[in-house]
Amino acid sequence: MPDRRRLAPLYVAAGALVLTAVLLALGLVLGGYDPHAALSALVRGAFGSRDAFLSVTLVRAVPLILTGLAVALAFRAGVWNIGAEGQLYAGAIAGVWVGLTASWLPAWALLPAVLGASLLAGATWALVPAMMKLKLGVGEVITTILMNFVAIHAASFMVRGPLQESRGVFPQTDAVGPAARLPLLVDGSRLHGGFLLAVLLCLGLWAFLRWSRAGFAVRAVGGSVEVAEVAGRIRSRKVVGATFLASGALAGLAGGVEVSGVTFALYENLSPGWGYTAIAVALLAGLNPIGVLVTGTFFGALQAGAGAMQRSAGVPAVWVVAVEALVILAVLGLDQAWRRAMVPRGSAVAHRALPEGSGPKTDRSGERGPGDSDV
Amino acid sequence: MPACARLVGVEKWFGSVRALAGADLTLEAGRIHGVLGENGAGKSTLLGILGGLIAPDSGTIEIEGAAVRLGSPGDAWTRGVGLVHQHFALVPTFTVLENLSLGRRGGSRVGRLDLRRVRERVQALSERTGLSVTLDAPVSSLGVGERQRVEILKALLRDPKILVLDEPTAVLAPSEVERLFDLLRDLASSGTSVALVAHKLDEVLAVAQDFTVLREGRTVLKGSRAEVDAVSLTRAMIGGDEGAARPGITRKVVQPVRTSGDAVPSEVVASLVDVSTRDEAGGLFLRGVGLEVRRGELVGIAGVGGNGQRELALILAGRRRPDAGVAHLPDEVAFIPQDRIGQGLIADFSLVENAALTLQRSSAFRTGPILRWGAIRSAARDLIREYDVRASGASVPARSLSGGNQQRLVVARELRVARDLLVAENPTRGLDVMSAAFVHASIRARVLEGDAATRPGMVLISTDLDEILALATRILVISRGRLSPVAPDLHTREGVGTLMVGGSSA
Amino acid sequence: MFEALAWVAFLEASVRLGVPLALAALGETITERSGVINIGLEGSIIAGALGGALGALATGSAGTGILLGGVAGMAVAGVFAALAIGLGTDQIITGTAVTLGGLGVTGAVYQARFGVTGTALSLPTLDRWSVPVLSDIPMLGSPLFDQPPTTYLVYALGPILWYWLFRTSWGLELRAAGEAPDAARAAGVRVLKVRAVAALFGGLLAGVAGAHLALAHTGTFAENMSAGRGFIAIAVVVLGRWHPGWVVVAAMFFGAASALQFLLQAFGLDVPYQLFLALPYVLTLAALAGWVGRATAPAALALPWPRRR
Repeated sequence: MPDRRRLAPLYVAAGALVLTAVLLALGLVLGGYDPHAALSALVRGAFGSRDAFLSVTLVRAVPLILTGLAVALAFRAGVWNIGAEGQLYAGAIAGVWVGLTASWLPAWALLPAVLGASLLAGATWALVPAMMKLKLGVGEVITTILMNFVAIHAASFMVRGPLQESRGVFPQTDAVGPAARLPLLVDGSRLHGGFLLAVLLCLGLWAFLRWSRAGFAVRAVGGSVEVAEVAGRIRSRKVVGATFLASGALAGLAGGVEVSGVTFALYENLSPGWGYTAIAVALLAGLNPIGVLVTGTFFGALQAGAGAMQRSAGVPAVWVVAVEALVILAVLGLDQAWRRAMVPRGSAVAHRALPEGSGPKTDRSGERGPGDSDV
Repeated sequence: MPACARLVGVEKWFGSVRALAGADLTLEAGRIHGVLGENGAGKSTLLGILGGLIAPDSGTIEIEGAAVRLGSPGDAWTRGVGLVHQHFALVPTFTVLENLSLGRRGGSRVGRLDLRRVRERVQALSERTGLSVTLDAPVSSLGVGERQRVEILKALLRDPKILVLDEPTAVLAPSEVERLFDLLRDLASSGTSVALVAHKLDEVLAVAQDFTVLREGRTVLKGSRAEVDAVSLTRAMIGGDEGAARPGITRKVVQPVRTSGDAVPSEVVASLVDVSTRDEAGGLFLRGVGLEVRRGELVGIAGVGGNGQRELALILAGRRRPDAGVAHLPDEVAFIPQDRIGQGLIADFSLVENAALTLQRSSAFRTGPILRWGAIRSAARDLIREYDVRASGASVPARSLSGGNQQRLVVARELRVARDLLVAENPTRGLDVMSAAFVHASIRARVLEGDAATRPGMVLISTDLDEILALATRILVISRGRLSPVAPDLHTREGVGTLMVGGSSA
Repeated sequence: MFEALAWVAFLEASVRLGVPLALAALGETITERSGVINIGLEGSIIAGALGGALGALATGSAGTGILLGGVAGMAVAGVFAALAIGLGTDQIITGTAVTLGGLGVTGAVYQARFGVTGTALSLPTLDRWSVPVLSDIPMLGSPLFDQPPTTYLVYALGPILWYWLFRTSWGLELRAAGEAPDAARAAGVRVLKVRAVAALFGGLLAGVAGAHLALAHTGTFAENMSAGRGFIAIAVVVLGRWHPGWVVVAAMFFGAASALQFLLQAFGLDVPYQLFLALPYVLTLAALAGWVGRATAPAALALPWPRRR
C-alpha cells in the first residue's frame, strides 16, 4: 500500500498555491482590476524573457533562498528564529564595512573576507537571542524580532554616520571596489555568483540533514527535545545553540551576498522584508533545503512579477506581501486539516492524548527521511 | 428502585484500538457501585464517558430516565455527574481555593469571584466529611493524597447526584482509604449514587453494593453483593478458562522466573549512594536512596504512584543529577519510559529514524560524522520483524502506530542497546493485554535468560504490583521518596501491598 | 523655565508614545493569559489604523473611526483565531503570517483608494479632553490629563482588567485555560471559546491602538505606520509579567525610552537620532534579560489545544 502521508507536503503545497491563486484572483476582481491582465503581467514579469528570469527572478531569489535556508534550519531544530531580517542587515553592514576598509588585503582575499564577515556578523546577531534563550530562558521569538529593529536602525545609523558616502549627502555608503564584488554567472545578465553559492548551500544543507550525525541530531531535537536527550543521548542545548548561530550566519550571508552581488553599497531599507518572506519560503518548502531552492525561486518570481504587474495592470506591488501571507496561512491551514483527516478523532481526547514535541510542526510527518525506503 | 444513570451498548475507539465494545453500566440512587476490570479493560474510558470527558462513538446514556448527550464535562456537571479524576485535573499554579472555585459562576451577576463564600462552603463541607485541605496553598505544593481530597471536595461542592471516582485509593494510605469509604457510605445513605473504580478487589468488595465487571471493553458480569463473591468477580475479570489459554493472562498466574542459586554474585552495573533530590519548592523527593543493581538481576521498585518514581527513573536514566549523593551509572543506559510519544519516540520520525535514535550512539552505525543509513535501516527492519511491530512499512511515522506497537518499537530498540543497565518505568501502562504480555516476555528473555555474562541488570519501576511480582528477582518498595527492601518471603500481593501503603516490614 | 518645558514635552511624548502600546499590550495580556500568543497583533494594529482612517474619513467623526478601527483589528484577530485556535495551527507562524497579511492588505487597500504614491491624508483627529482640576497640576497635569480619550481608556482599563482577571469567575476561567486547559475543561470551562474570545478582545484593543495612531495625534495614515508596535507590545506584556497594571507601566517605560530623544535634543546633546530610535528596543532586550528571566508565563502559552497525536 503506498503511504499517502509521504505525499502530504506536496499535496499541501500544491493545494496552498491553488487556494492562494483563487483568493488572489478574487481579490483582484474585488479591487476592480482585471485579474487576467494582472496575472499574465505577473508571469511575464517573472518568466517572460531570459532577462526577466535571469536578471530579475533569480537575482531576487538569492536572498530569499539564503534566508529561507536560515529559517528552515532553525525551525528544524525547534528554534524560532524570526530574526533573519536583522541578521541579514548585520551581515550587510559587516560585509560593506570590510569591503570598504580592508583594501590592504590582497585582491583575491577581499571577497572571501566580505562574505566571511557577513557570516560572522549574522551569527553574532543571533548570539544575543541564543544566549538569552539558553542562559536566561527568554523566548527567542520576541528577542529575535527586537533584534531586527535594532539592526535596521543600526544600518540607518551607519549610512548616515560612520559609513556614509564620501560626499556626505546621501544616506548610503560608497560602493565597494571590484575585488569585493561577486562575479557574474551569465554574461549580459545580472545573475551573480551568489546564486551558485545559494544552490550549493541548499545541496550541502540537505546532505547535512540527511546523512550526518549532527544533522540527525538537529532533526531529533526539533522533533522532541526530551526524546532526543533520553533515547538519543543528544545534548539538546548544544544543538540548539549551534543551530541558532548557523541560522544567523546563513541569514547574515544573505546580506553579504546582496551587497557584494547586487547593490555594492549599503542603503537604508536594503531589504524589503526578506527575512519575513523567508518564513513563507521555508514553510512552503516543508523545511526541506532542496524545497527552499524551489520556493525561494518561486517567491523571487512573485516579487519580480509584482513590478510588472504594477506597471502594466496598475496593481500595487504591495499585493505580493498579502500573497505571501496567504501562502503561509494556506499551508498551515491545509496541513492541519490534512492531519485531522489522517488522525482518528478519538485521540483528540484531552487527558489521554499524548503530548507532542515542542518544536515547530510543519510538514515533517510525510517527509522521507534517509532511512525510509521500504525495499 | 429507578436507575439513576444507565449506559447501554457504549463503544469507543482510540485510533485503531477499541477501548469499549458495547459496555453497559447501571447506577442506582443511594448505592455504591464497584466497577472492576483488568488494566485496559475500559473502566476509565467508561467513567470518562459518564463524566462528559470522552465522547462515545455509539451507545446511549440515560440520566434519571432521560436520554442525554454529554458533550463536555460542563454538561455532565449540569446533569449532576461529578467525576473525580485518576490523573488529577487541577490547575497547579492556582491555590486550592481557586481550584475549588473554578467553573462555578457565583451568584453575583458581574461574575465576581466570591472566594469568601466558597471558603465558607468548603470549610463546612470539610467539617462534615472530614476532608481537610490547606485552602491557600498552591496545588503544586501539595502531595498526591491532598490533591485527591481537593478533587473530591471539588466534586462534592456541586452537590452531585452521581459521584464517579476513578481509582481513588491508588494514592491513599490504608487509614485514609477507610475514611474515604466511610464518606462514600454517608453520601450513598443520603441518596447519592456512587460509582467507584479501584484495582484492589478486596477494597471494592468491602464498600460496594453493586458490581459491574468489564473485560476487553465489554460488560461481562453485573450483580449485587448477594449475587457475587471474590471468586466469581476474579473469574469474570480474568476471563476464566477461556482467558487462561491466552498468553496475555499469564502474569496473573505464572510464577516469576528467579535466578536463584548464583554461586558468585555478578558484577554491579549501577549503584546509587544516598541519593536525594529536591523539587522546586525545596522539599525532598528522593530521600537518601541507596540501590545496587547487578548484572542479570531484575530489581522491581513497587509503589503507589507519586512517591518519587519519576525522579528515580530520571536519575537512573541519566537525565537528572542527584542534588545530594552519588549515582554510578554505566555509559550506556537503555530506558523504556512510560510516556511513549513524550519520551520514547518522535512522533513525526519514521520507524527507522526512531530506531536510529539509539543506534546512532554506537560507532558501528556511523563512519566518521556520517550515519550509515544502510546498516541502520536493516537493523531497524530486523527489530521490527523480531518484535512483530505492526506497521505498513518501516518508513511510516511513529504517530501512525497503535500504542501497543509503539511500545514494541521502544522495547525492541532499547533491548537492542541494553548492555549494562536497563531501566523501565511502567512499561506496559495503557497497553492492551497481548502487547503487555509481549513486552513482559521480551524483557524476561533479555534480562533473565541466557548467558549471565551478557545480560544487563534491570530496574523495573512500576505501579502495577502484578507486573513487579511477575518479573522481579528482587523487590523494593518506594514510599515517600524512600526505598525499602522486601524480604523474599513477602514477595506476594499482600506482603508488598502492605509495605506500599506505608506498613512496616517488621 | 526652559528645563520645565522640556520635561513637560518629554512626559507628553512618553504618554503619547506609550498609550497605543499600552492598549495593544493590555489586549495581548488577556489573550496570552488564556494560553494564546498572538504575534499577529501588528496586523490588527495596522488594520485598526486604516479602518480608523477610512471610518473617520467617511463619517467625519474621529470617534466613529476609533470604533471602526477596533472592529477592523478584531476582524484580523478573527483570521488568526480561526486558524490557530479553531484548526490548531502553530500560533507563532500563524501570527507572523497574519502580520504580514495585515501589512500587505492595508497597503493594497490604501493604494487602491489613495493612489500608489499616496496623497497626504488629512483626517479628523480626536479632541483632547481636559480633566478638570487634575489637568491643572503643574508639570504633570497637561501631559497626563489633557489628552485624547483613548489615553483615559488606558487609565481605566488597567484596573478594570486587573479586577476582571483576578477577581471574577470569568477571569479565573480565562487564567485556567491558559495554565492548564485540560483541568479547565474538566471543571466545565469551554477552553476554545474562552481562547477565541480572548484573542478577539486582544484584536479589538489592538485595532483601537491602531486607530489611535491615525486619529489621536497625527491625523493621517501611512503604510506600515504601525512600525513594529505589535511586536513591542508583546515584549511589553512580558516586561509587565502578564499583569495589567505592570503592563501599563511597562508600556509607559517604553514610551519614555522612545521619547528620550526629544529630551536630549532639547538639552542640545548631539547624539545621532538613529541610536535613539534603536534605544527602546535595546532597553527592552536588556529588561527582558535583566529581570524577567523565566518569569511567570502562562504554562500553556502557545501550545495548541486539544493536543493531538
